[in-house]
Amino acid sequence: MDPRKKVSKEKTAAASKPSVVEASPSISFSEAFTVNLLCGLGLALAFFVSNNIYSIDLVTDPSLTLFLISIIQLPIVILLYSRYRLNRKKCSYLRAVGRGIIGVPVGALLNSLGAIALGAPVTFQYLPKTLYWSLMMSLFTTVPASCVLGSSWADRKRIFAHTKPNGSVEYLICLQAHGAVIGGWFGAWPMPLDWERPWQEWPISVSYGTLAGYLVALVASLGFVLAHPRLQHVKNE
Amino acid sequence: MSSISCTKLTLFTISALIIQFIGLSLFVFAFFPVKPLLSGYSGSESFRRPTCDDGVEANPNEATLPPDRRRFLYQEVSEMPPSYDRLILMVIDGLPAEFVLGKMGQPPSKAFMEAMPYTQSLLANGMGVGYHAIAAAPTVTMPRLKAMVSGAIGGFLDVASNFNSQAYSDDNLIAQFFKIGWKMVMHGDNTWLKLFPGFFARHDGVSSFFVKDTVQVDRNVSRHLGDELSRDDWNLLILHYLGLDHVGHTGGRSSALMASKLSEMDEVVRMIHTNILQNLENDQRQMLLVVVSDHGMTESGNHGGSSYEETDSLALFIGPKNHASSHTLSNHDTIFQVDIAPTLALLFGVPIPKNNIGVLISQMVDSLTDEQKLRALQLNSWQLFRLLQAQLPDLSCRNFPCDSFITDSGPTISECKGSKEKLFCCLYLNAAALHDAWRDEVVIKSNNTEGYNTTVAAYHEFLSRASEWLSHKATDRPISSLAFGVAALITSCLILLKLLFVIHKEVPAQEIQDVENYMKPRKLDEVFILLGILILVISMGSSSMIEEEHYIWHFLTSTISLLFFRKAIQSFDLNKAVGDLISAEKKNYTSGCQISLLFLIIFCGRILKGWHQGGVNWTNLPDISSWLEQAGSQYINLIQITSCVIIFMLGIFLLFLLQSKKKVIMVIGLSLLMSGLLVLQHFMKHQNMSASNNKDATLSVQVFYAVLGITTVTVVLVLPWVMPKNTHEKCSKWNLYMSASVPTEIQNMTPIFVLKDSLYVIGCMYITFWCLLQLLLQRPINAMPLLLLNVQILAYMLAFSSCGSHHNKQWVEIAALYNLGMAGHFALGNSNTLATIDVAGAFIGISSHSTFLSGVLMYIITYASPMLFFFSLVMYISIKITICPLVTDGGNSGEILKSFLGFPCLVPLSINSILLSAYTIVLVLMRNHLFIWSVYSPKYLYVCAATACVYIGVFLVVTTVIYTYIVLFWLRKSFSITSKEDGTR
Repeated sequence: MDPRKKVSKEKTAAASKPSVVEASPSISFSEAFTVNLLCGLGLALAFFVSNNIYSIDLVTDPSLTLFLISIIQLPIVILLYSRYRLNRKKCSYLRAVGRGIIGVPVGALLNSLGAIALGAPVTFQYLPKTLYWSLMMSLFTTVPASCVLGSSWADRKRIFAHTKPNGSVEYLICLQAHGAVIGGWFGAWPMPLDWERPWQEWPISVSYGTLAGYLVALVASLGFVLAHPRLQHVKNE
Repeated sequence: MSSISCTKLTLFTISALIIQFIGLSLFVFAFFPVKPLLSGYSGSESFRRPTCDDGVEANPNEATLPPDRRRFLYQEVSEMPPSYDRLILMVIDGLPAEFVLGKMGQPPSKAFMEAMPYTQSLLANGMGVGYHAIAAAPTVTMPRLKAMVSGAIGGFLDVASNFNSQAYSDDNLIAQFFKIGWKMVMHGDNTWLKLFPGFFARHDGVSSFFVKDTVQVDRNVSRHLGDELSRDDWNLLILHYLGLDHVGHTGGRSSALMASKLSEMDEVVRMIHTNILQNLENDQRQMLLVVVSDHGMTESGNHGGSSYEETDSLALFIGPKNHASSHTLSNHDTIFQVDIAPTLALLFGVPIPKNNIGVLISQMVDSLTDEQKLRALQLNSWQLFRLLQAQLPDLSCRNFPCDSFITDSGPTISECKGSKEKLFCCLYLNAAALHDAWRDEVVIKSNNTEGYNTTVAAYHEFLSRASEWLSHKATDRPISSLAFGVAALITSCLILLKLLFVIHKEVPAQEIQDVENYMKPRKLDEVFILLGILILVISMGSSSMIEEEHYIWHFLTSTISLLFFRKAIQSFDLNKAVGDLISAEKKNYTSGCQISLLFLIIFCGRILKGWHQGGVNWTNLPDISSWLEQAGSQYINLIQITSCVIIFMLGIFLLFLLQSKKKVIMVIGLSLLMSGLLVLQHFMKHQNMSASNNKDATLSVQVFYAVLGITTVTVVLVLPWVMPKNTHEKCSKWNLYMSASVPTEIQNMTPIFVLKDSLYVIGCMYITFWCLLQLLLQRPINAMPLLLLNVQILAYMLAFSSCGSHHNKQWVEIAALYNLGMAGHFALGNSNTLATIDVAGAFIGISSHSTFLSGVLMYIITYASPMLFFFSLVMYISIKITICPLVTDGGNSGEILKSFLGFPCLVPLSINSILLSAYTIVLVLMRNHLFIWSVYSPKYLYVCAATACVYIGVFLVVTTVIYTYIVLFWLRKSFSITSKEDGTR
């Protein structure tokens, strides 16, 4: 049997017992702060590079900017989150990195399908933009999860469908993913308005919304990590 | 926990609806005033001083006067000879005056100056006088033409109620000319022919339908020009050029085609003017050329609103005479479009139309003598005074002796103030007194310039004040009834919400097994539905969000579907080992089914969104329908036929999902098949649109209508009576699913199963028949969206019926369906402008013209999707009938009916009332907005129509369910009696 499946089986068995709150590695606040700071700095670096070296931004060249953000964010996210993989004994660091890399196209596919379902244009003209946008989304939503959780359906379901994160790392994953998605959702609202601004094009305003939601979630997740021990305490009572 | 009985609930709901209806009608009639128009036509009495009893004084013989006699009569009493004999009215659709006259004293742009050399030279040497004629909103062709020929501003409802532009029946210039026996010729936009059927001796109407055509449409007008100019049998020639408007619509103001179009128009002007000069030499017949435009255009070439660019229309008078007496050439005056009508009437010696609110353009009568000029002003004042008398009943003889004017000691000019009746009376009397004084003095002194000038000033004072007041009157709104209407709407909205809240609170008491489910805090989808309504309300404040409302509905609907998707995933386990039993497998299976159904719904929704690129701002983006139309009609026909087949196959499939092979079901299935084949046969036979006008097609459509109507009524009426016969086996079948139920109670439950089944069959039949009817009525391109909508609704039904452990609350599901219906409304190509209403479909299957029938058909076509939602509610009620609470409740039919109908009726009513009240408030707040006529008011009409749709839909659902229920529970008694008798035997 695949070892990963066994892991997940154990995981779900553990999760099914309500009192046992464990499994995902709890990290300290300072560590979480470092992770979030690095993610935020990665974004800042991406914008710095695109602004100063390529002298572009999201409005003038959305595809390239989104691509730069993705390419800079990719190693940061994968390398950082792979350190917090579940079940360290059975899963090496490299394996977690590999999972993360596989998670990129899968997440991109899911995100682009979601965007198209919500009305993103499907003409060839917009195909690269959708692609790069969904790459970025995938780094914010699914890649950390696949680094940490692997392919465990139950854990993913718990985090993404039930929104019940468990442990500080899962708080980071869950909040940032939700922040990015909700931010992107709200970012789509100005698109039909007739202000005739260049940023109303797909996917510029949505990307701005995503980034804003993500940044807010970075800060908010830190707060949750701070409050996390106390939350655990309350739950155990 | 407060409980509310069924009777109370019904009474409260009905009273809320009545309050809503009263509030809505109060608001509508206050906000869109229906101006009291004077009926009839002006006659020779308009050349006499207005008196108290105008009606009595009118000459009874006058109506039957032959045209020639009438003309002489007018010439006799008017005391001013007609300045011209013939009139050429050249209408250039959509030409902004800025193109010819420039803006703010600046000359027009160089390219446009050079494009119209002849016209500019006429303006420069004073042969022509140009004005900026301010058009009133809405700046669309037909109401503007009416304003030009009648001098009246119609209300908004007048515009909205005239979809098929019926003949114009109010007093107007064309009718006046017709009465004096003029021969009239019209070439150009066929709106004229619709407005004035039978008035034109010769005509060649072109349609403004093909907006892409900018060349042929004008060539069709100009090709008659040479011939018409050489003839002299006509008195009025109307040339209506549509090309410039089409250029604007396709390329905007700065289109490359604009300059060449202007030079084409200039060429026409040159040709006519040369002819005018020739005619003047030959036979001394004076001809006047009036070049007008009905409205302007925005930068992007659209029109309809009230911005300066749209209302800045042109009025250019070109005659044989030189008008440039003392006028500075570069400074062109601003007049109102309605001023054209009285000016032309006075110049040509016909009575001014009764409802005119315009004022004579004084520069146009400069060539007359002083006496005649004053006479013209006097006639205009008399006409306006009569109109004022009609609008202000207090301005009658009893209160103010207006007609017994002052004869003592010369003109007494008093300072005019006081109420508006007093003010107008005083102004009018001043002018009249001055006029009389001037006439007396002229006899003594030959020339009295000073007296003349004061008289003219007094007349102008009265005319401009009266005209201004009358035009404001057209948009005047009584505050009190507006406020009362809004208050009533809000009250009814609050009552409905309160009722919804009460029955929502009650539900947990009934569904005891779900207590845990209800104890939880609000779930994501519930919060989202509420958020969605909030977003809708907020978005109503923005005009572009109203224009692009389809984005909002699609976005909300697909997000709801995605949330349901997420919910379905919650109960889906990839790792089968989690549960231990078959139940887990079954649960997985149902949620798997749900996931695939929801995926189907989202997929269909995305195609639906891409089908029509609706709205206003992004219509140029590619969409599937225009792509298909380019590909050719054979594909569209193929899709149409396929959709038809799939729709009735789906209906039959749904019927057989019931797993009842009884005859009744077979018969209904057969009737579905038959009507489906009828539609199919119609499509096969009459594929191209041109052939659909013939009698054969009409007959086959009428046969379909008849079959559809008879089948529906028969099935709804008969089915509940027939269904019980095959219940015993059904009971046992249901019993398998219901392990918990006690066998002895099966007898008791029988009618409920039957009710469930018959409602299911009726709902299925409603949905399928409605889709088939729509297939027939809608444009062929809409066949596929109809199919997709049908699939979406049925998939929702299946998904809701197979809900697993995490089932949604009823109101959430109904709200989701409501959203789906609204998203479908826009997916069928509708928008919030009146332009997208499919008028062509409204005449399908109608052999004789009937406004009522085509109105009904138009409504059916426009509200296809929301009505489909209501029909699906019948099926929804059937799949949601749960047995347990009904069994425990026993015979209380009120409770049972409440549990069936509570949410399905209250949720759509509440959502609609929220949207209606919110939009009404928005409309009041935006009453001075630039887009009030072009965006907000049409949207309000749609909101009102949607309200009517909700009323009709809820009524249909309620009557169907209650009728079925009554029949079944009446039958139950007789049934149980007979079965008891069987048992005793």
